This record gives sequence, C-alpha cells and structure tokens, in this order.
Amino acid sequence: MKQRAVPYILAAPAVILLMTFGIFPILVAAVVSFTDLDVVGLADMSKVAFVGFDNYANLFHDPDFWKALANTGLFVVFGVPAIVICSLGVALALNSSNGRFMKVLRSFYFVPAITGIVAISLVWGYLYNAQFGLFNWILTSLGADPLPWLSDPALAKFSVALVAIWRGTGLNIIIFLAALQGIPQEYREAAAIDGAGRWRTTVSIVIPLLRFALFFVTVTTMIAWLQFFDEPFVLTDGGPLGATTSASIFLYKHGIRLNQFGYASAGSLILLAVIAAVTVLQLRVKGKDDDV
Amino acid sequence: MKHLTRLVTGVLSASLTFGMAACSASTPSTSTDNSLTFWIMGDSGANFQKLTEPFTKETGIAVNVTAIPWDSVDERLTTAVASGKGPDLLQIGLTKLRQFADAGALMKLDNELGSYPGLAASNFADAVAGQATAVGGSIVSIPWVADTRILYYRSDILGEAGITKPPATWEQLRKDAKTLADRGAGQYGYYIPQWDSTLPVGMTWSHGGDIVGPKGTIDFDSAGFNKMVDVYTGLYADGSVPLNADFDQAQGFVSGMAPMLISGPYLSKMIRDAAPELDGKWNVAMIPAGTQSSTSVFLGSSLGIWATTKQKDNALKLANFLSDPATQLKWYEIQGEIPTVKAALNDSTFTSDPMVKLYAQQLASSKVIPMVPNWDHGTGEELLNALNSIALNGADRGTALADLYKKTADTSAK
Repeated sequence: MKQRAVPYILAAPAVILLMTFGIFPILVAAVVSFTDLDVVGLADMSKVAFVGFDNYANLFHDPDFWKALANTGLFVVFGVPAIVICSLGVALALNSSNGRFMKVLRSFYFVPAITGIVAISLVWGYLYNAQFGLFNWILTSLGADPLPWLSDPALAKFSVALVAIWRGTGLNIIIFLAALQGIPQEYREAAAIDGAGRWRTTVSIVIPLLRFALFFVTVTTMIAWLQFFDEPFVLTDGGPLGATTSASIFLYKHGIRLNQFGYASAGSLILLAVIAAVTVLQLRVKGKDDDV
Repeated sequence: MKHLTRLVTGVLSASLTFGMAACSASTPSTSTDNSLTFWIMGDSGANFQKLTEPFTKETGIAVNVTAIPWDSVDERLTTAVASGKGPDLLQIGLTKLRQFADAGALMKLDNELGSYPGLAASNFADAVAGQATAVGGSIVSIPWVADTRILYYRSDILGEAGITKPPATWEQLRKDAKTLADRGAGQYGYYIPQWDSTLPVGMTWSHGGDIVGPKGTIDFDSAGFNKMVDVYTGLYADGSVPLNADFDQAQGFVSGMAPMLISGPYLSKMIRDAAPELDGKWNVAMIPAGTQSSTSVFLGSSLGIWATTKQKDNALKLANFLSDPATQLKWYEIQGEIPTVKAALNDSTFTSDPMVKLYAQQLASSKVIPMVPNWDHGTGEELLNALNSIALNGADRGTALADLYKKTADTSAK
C-alpha cells in the first residue's frame, strides 16, 4: 500500500500546480467565455448574464480578430524557421571549437535570453527610432534614406519579429549545443574514415542526430510565436494601426484594457485550440518517421 | 511569452474573487481608523506625501500614498474591483472617470458635499465642476488638477521663414506649416501626436461640431468633424508633419524639425530643462481657432472616493484639504500641475507668469471629453485609427469614416 502511494506523492506537487494554474484557469475561462462578464459584473455578479455562443459568433465576425490571427500566422511562418535556423547555425559554429573565445561567445549569445524585456524595449526602441536612432544614422551615413522602422505597417512587423528572433535564439542555442555535445565522437570519426568532409558530416551525421532537439525547439518556438506578445507590446503596442497586433495582444486589449472578459476568454480558448491542434499535428508527423 | 497564461489566471482570480465577494458581502477597506490610503497616478507620490504633511499634522490622519503608473491603471482598477480591496481616495484621469464609475468603484457624492463648502461645485472651473463631470446624473468625483492643450511655436524659426505671429486659425496653421516644411528635407512645419485622441476632438469643437448627438450617444458625423478631418489629413497630405509614430516631440521642437506643435503645459518644463539656451526663442499661444472658436480639451484628474471605504468622512476631509486654494497653489509649485479651483487659477502668484496665464486662459475655453465607457482604449482609439488609416495608410476617407461612425454609434456619453 505504502509502496504504491510513493509515485502519487512524488507526482502530486506537479499535478496540483498544473491543475491550479493550468487546467483550472482554462476551465474558468471556458465558463467565462459564455458570459458577458465585464468590470461591472465583477463588482456585482447579478449583472453577469450567460450569452451562449455570442462571444464566439462575434469573434468570428470581428475583422480585427482575423487580422490578429493572420498576423500571428505570418509571425509563425517566418519566425519559426528563422529562429531554428539561426540557433542551429550559431550552435554548430560555436561547437566547432572549445577555445576560450568560443566559451565567452556562448555566454554572449545567451545574454538576450536573460535580459529583461523592458531594458530590451528601451534599447531597441532607441535603435529603431526614426529621428535619432542608430540604424537610421548608419543608413544616412551610408547615403541611404532613413527607414520608418516602427511606423510602416510592413516594416514594423519585421522590426518586432527581429527583436523576438534575437531574443529567442539564446536559449535554443544552448539546447542545440547540449545536443551537439551528446553526439558520440565515434560517429564523426567513422564518417571521417569514410572520407566525409566537414559539410558532409554535418548534413548527414550531425543534423540527423539532432532530430530530437530540433523537434523540441521547433515545437516550443512555434508555441512561443503563437503566443507572441512581449516585443510588439513594448515596442509598438500592436501598432501602427494593428499591423503588429498578434492574437495575444488582441486578447490583452480586450480583456485587460476594455474589460471584456467574456470576449477575451472566448478568444483565448480559440487560441488555445489552435496551439493544441498545431502541437498535436507536429507530434503526429514526428511519430510517423521517428525511431532514433 | 507567458502572458496568455497570465491573462487566463487574471480572469480566473477575478472570477474567483467575485464568487467569494458574493458570499462575504463587502470586504473592508485596508486602512485603519486614522490613516487613509491614497492612489496617485504617475510618479508624483513623494511630492504628494509632502503636500499632505500639514493635513496629517492638523488632523492626525496619516496618508499612505501608493503611486500607480499611468500604464497600469486599468489593471489596478480590475483587481481592486474584483477583490473589493481598493484605496480610500484616488486620483482618476478625466477620460477614465466613467469607467471607474461604471465599475461601481466610486462613491456617489451628491449628498455628501453639502457639509464641505470647499467642495461646492461653484468653486471649480466650470468645465469640470459638478454636473459637467457627472456620470449618469450623479456626481462621483471632485475636480483636482487641470491640463489642457496649447500651441507651442519656435518664434525664431517662424521669423526666419517670414511668419511674424503664431497662426490664429487652423487654415493659417496649415499654410504656415507648409511654408516651414519647405525649409528642406527632413524638416516639418507641425507635429501631430499619433497617440493623442483628444486633439481631434478639440479641433472638431473649434469647427463648430460636436461628437455627441442629440440622443446622448457618440455621433462623430457632423460638418465640424468633417472640417477637422480636412485639416488633420490635409497636414499629412501637404507633407507638413512627420510620418513616424515614434517622433519625439520635445526633441523635434528643440532641434527645430517640428517648430510648431500642440501639447500640454508639461512640455514647457521639458523644453526649459532640455534646452535652456532656447529661452526667448519659443513661446506658447492659444490653440488655433476653427471656423467657430479656439476650443481646447480640458484634461486632468479628479478625486474619487472608493465606494466601499469605511473612512468616508476622513476621505472627504482630505478632499476638502486638497481643494483648498492654498494647497492647490502649493501643488502647482512642487509638482507643476495646474489647479482646478477658480480662486487658485485667479491668484496673482499663478497669473503673474504670462505663459502660465495663457494656460488659465485656454482652460477657460476648454471642454471635457464626453463621459464614454472607455475613451482611451475604446472610442478614442477608434477615432485615431480612422484618422491615421486615412492619413498614413491612404485608406479611403469615406469608408474609414463610415466604419468609425458605425463602430462608435450607440456609445452612451452621459
């Protein structure tokens, strides 16, 4: 009896935390999404009414919601490959030598991941500033025209994504480096004996052996992009004119600023469903061809 | 990127607490008998503590000041309403008054003010006194500090361009701005803050329009509003204003890139601090007139008393102290915020500075933004989105405005 209880006791803290801060809020949000809860209702519960699927129907007809989803989709499509390729590239380069310089470089690449978003937004805000920013100073010094980094709808998407990519690579580089160091030296030696060059070894031996790390990084990066929030929030507040409003920014604006808790909850459940669907799909695709 | 979880947990804790609050009726306010909790917006907490020292000395009531950043006002309101744990007294921006009142956070003061002559509506600037800022017919706040918009101009740069006096009308401003923008590449005549949703409202009033219809709901569609759109989008079409959203107005004014702009009195201090060498090369003027008047927006803050406070009398005493002309002048001296009490506005220490006198003059012809449920992130944002989409993205004017009218129709403004 005692023996049987041990695994449950060990798992209990994690399960309780997950239930309290993961599952339960989702259930509450699910309930709230069928009501018209706002700040008035918060103070006086009798003013809260169940509205059925109205919130979902309204979201479906809200062009701003679709725009936010489309923006999020765009960020995922370009952002995920960008982060994966950049991190993998940097990790491979860093792994090529064990010298002191490379070790210093490793911490250098990790710095963005541990720097506070507020500091990042201040620094990048100044870099991007159209009036006195460094980027425009460089451009004008080279004789080019200054660019409206955060003011042009298309360019602003690129600008906020660039900061997110810069910030997102740090942790993933560490994951790739750990995986790279787990590859037995014998494989490389065997490849070398067979006459494989550096490039061939990387493509045919190293990258396939990184498959699990690649999968992990892709899944977590994709979820992070689907929840993309920090960078547009601090740099553009979703602007100009909604160009950088991701699904999460849309939810924040409706839930926190406009106090439309019901509406925002409905939106957050849709986003949750999208994230779950995408992740399950990835697991399926991986499950089929994986036997490493 | 954990904000989604945070949002969900926020909603969770909110709904949890409202469930619990229903069981335990009302949760007591945090303050004990001889101290008041005051929420002040922005970074003026230390100065406010200083301001209330005489009050504490006289009455023995301590004042605990909590400074709330302007950006997180909405979040704090939500959590305070949900938990029932608010302050006793708080500062509320005028454009947020309705939101707080709707949430049931503010005590109705109609029957409370009688015993405090210092709090009578007749003491305060007419634009914000009594019914002018009532929500649903009830007085829920006491005016505190005033803010308005005035025209700043660089007299030296205007002079070099042959402009001898600041533009008195929007038509003239548009012409002058064009002249100034022609100084060269990267030079502009005027600056429009793309985030200021109150400016177009003032311009609409100046052109004889209003944004509230006869039914007491928001109705932008008027001749005056359309004239404002002409000027607003015209300034962009002329190439007279910078296009980038992150344009820094103080920097632009000091460097001369944007030698005219409309801003609040706080900019005066910024310019003096940033560029003392420009003294005498810039000045302020009443905002340009439209076809009807030179009407500006009356911004600023009021004092509210938290609906469930147990310290109503002490809170009113503090409000009374803060509405004293001497206290209001003291606050202007240490924090630079303009009084709302008429006696203070007319005081010689206040009117002796010609620049400051102009603020008072402009305030006299200013009106408050209508009390809509959510101006800053609701109606005002829709207005800016429509205007900026025409001016910056080249959206079709007819479609953008029709969309704005449709989105904001039926927004109650009482």
